Amino acid sequence: MSKVMTMKEAIAGHVSDGDFLYIGGYVCRSPFAAIHEIIRQKKRDLTITRSNAADDFDLLIGAGCVKRFISTFISLALYGLARCYRRSLEKGIPHKIEVEEYTNLSLPMMLMAGAMGMPFIPVKDMVGTDLMNVKSFLGENKYKMIESPFDGTPTLLVPALKPDVGIIHVQQADEDGNAQIWGIGGDCKWGANAAQKVIVSCERIVSREIIGKDPSRTIVPSFKVVSVVEEPFGSHPGYTPGFYDQDFGFGYVYQQASNTEEGFQAFLDEWVFGVNDRTEYVQHYIQRFGYARYTKLQAKFDYSYPVSYSY
Amino acid sequence: MSEHPNDYIKPELMACCGAREIDDGDIVIVGTGFPAMSANIAKHTHAKNAIMMQESGVYDARPARPALSVGDACLNPGAAMIGGLIDVMGMFLQGGWVDVGFLSGSQVDKYGNINTTAIGDYNRPKSRLPGSGGANPIGALAKKVLIITLHNTRSLTEKVDFITTPGYLDGPGARERWGLPANTGPKVIITNKAVMRFDRETKEAYMESYHPGTSVDEVVKLTPWKLKVSDGVHETETPREEEMRVMREIIDPHRMIKIYEKRGYV
Repeated sequence: MSKVMTMKEAIAGHVSDGDFLYIGGYVCRSPFAAIHEIIRQKKRDLTITRSNAADDFDLLIGAGCVKRFISTFISLALYGLARCYRRSLEKGIPHKIEVEEYTNLSLPMMLMAGAMGMPFIPVKDMVGTDLMNVKSFLGENKYKMIESPFDGTPTLLVPALKPDVGIIHVQQADEDGNAQIWGIGGDCKWGANAAQKVIVSCERIVSREIIGKDPSRTIVPSFKVVSVVEEPFGSHPGYTPGFYDQDFGFGYVYQQASNTEEGFQAFLDEWVFGVNDRTEYVQHYIQRFGYARYTKLQAKFDYSYPVSYSY
Repeated sequence: MSEHPNDYIKPELMACCGAREIDDGDIVIVGTGFPAMSANIAKHTHAKNAIMMQESGVYDARPARPALSVGDACLNPGAAMIGGLIDVMGMFLQGGWVDVGFLSGSQVDKYGNINTTAIGDYNRPKSRLPGSGGANPIGALAKKVLIITLHNTRSLTEKVDFITTPGYLDGPGARERWGLPANTGPKVIITNKAVMRFDRETKEAYMESYHPGTSVDEVVKLTPWKLKVSDGVHETETPREEEMRVMREIIDPHRMIKIYEKRGYV
């Protein structure tokens, strides 16, 4: 059964106000096409999570879509602190979001626990630090400190996370949703599988036969997936291995724009509300910066040796 | 800016100090900038069998350009293994296999605790910083933690506003009480003025060496706690010829490390 649809249909049909979203990516394969559509559809009161958030989460926060953020870290990497995030927490603009803080070990472990149907999971970090002294919307359920029933040592337990929707961008998927990645994974596999349903955005839709030629690359199986959206250049200004590089110049554009509230609104007007979909976004990018800059981002080919699964 | 007599700049000296803490065969979790530089210097000089990994899921990358983030596209082609956070932070770090972790912080205190969460009151921050990311688990679980920071009375402090990443917490015995693995914790603080190590008994940072161009007195003055000085305190060894060659010719021919001068590392 084909689950292929437009991003407009995927977000309208499967993301509701108040939902808890896992949004994958790690500079690598950030699902920007989906992020922009969530903003265009003015989704509200979302809880969002993933390890090492970046400009995509900053956009959602600045656009007023976010109520709660289960966080480990957020910055604009090379371009410093996340501007909208700071404005939200320091000045309440557009409103103050609630932040529950974990780490790049504990949060992926919580997603893994969610994916595996476990209620909680022990982790070895966080103990003794102020991360234990700040509790937000999870309250006393942020963590529990116990003595290990096996050897009595102090042991930290953190709760499993089960997002309503997982949104990821991958290299390729078939029309049923079998989704394949290669390159840096971040917490994508666990975050997507922890979710009740998954929206797969991909560089290209391929046949089931192509998926079957290298099935070890599949990180999400079709039964978890509700939408498959083909969005070439869908993680720009992030990158997708084998397709295009990170757009550092655009990172600077976003930093400069998001320095002020007005600049941020102008950025949204130009790059999010000013276009209808990813196709128009790419057209606008080429008009604005030139075709040469667009092609310069495209990856060179350097294929691996073919693999064979036959017997 | 501040070229020293034999032509090195302060960030290069600091990168070399970091490199010298890495032993041959060490497994090193690196970030970008200084840490990557230090690990690469070590790998090209005395620690050819050291192996680097990035928390995003990369093991033994062979980047063709300096990585600008731990998720940089250039880390993908050529790596020996790529998975995700559960692989590197879970299986390797939490599993107890990582020898060296590099951290930097906006605020570092005398016990090597690091703040990357908020300056001022947490609920009404003067400045909201990015958060832990991988820093807390690296500080909790790597066997040797190397800390890089600016040497002034803002970056160094008697007590950080918020402990994001554990050093020796509130002193001797604290890591053990919390169940952190034995033989882990900060080993050294490398600043733009000095190298500090941690006293075995008190767990407080003390001065081991001061960089050329400064003095014991100046370093003590720039440190906001009563800084103890090693009996064997000496001037920091300047970059060796081979270290300089590796930095300038192999690792950083465009001398991107100079941006650290603009950030105050002079």
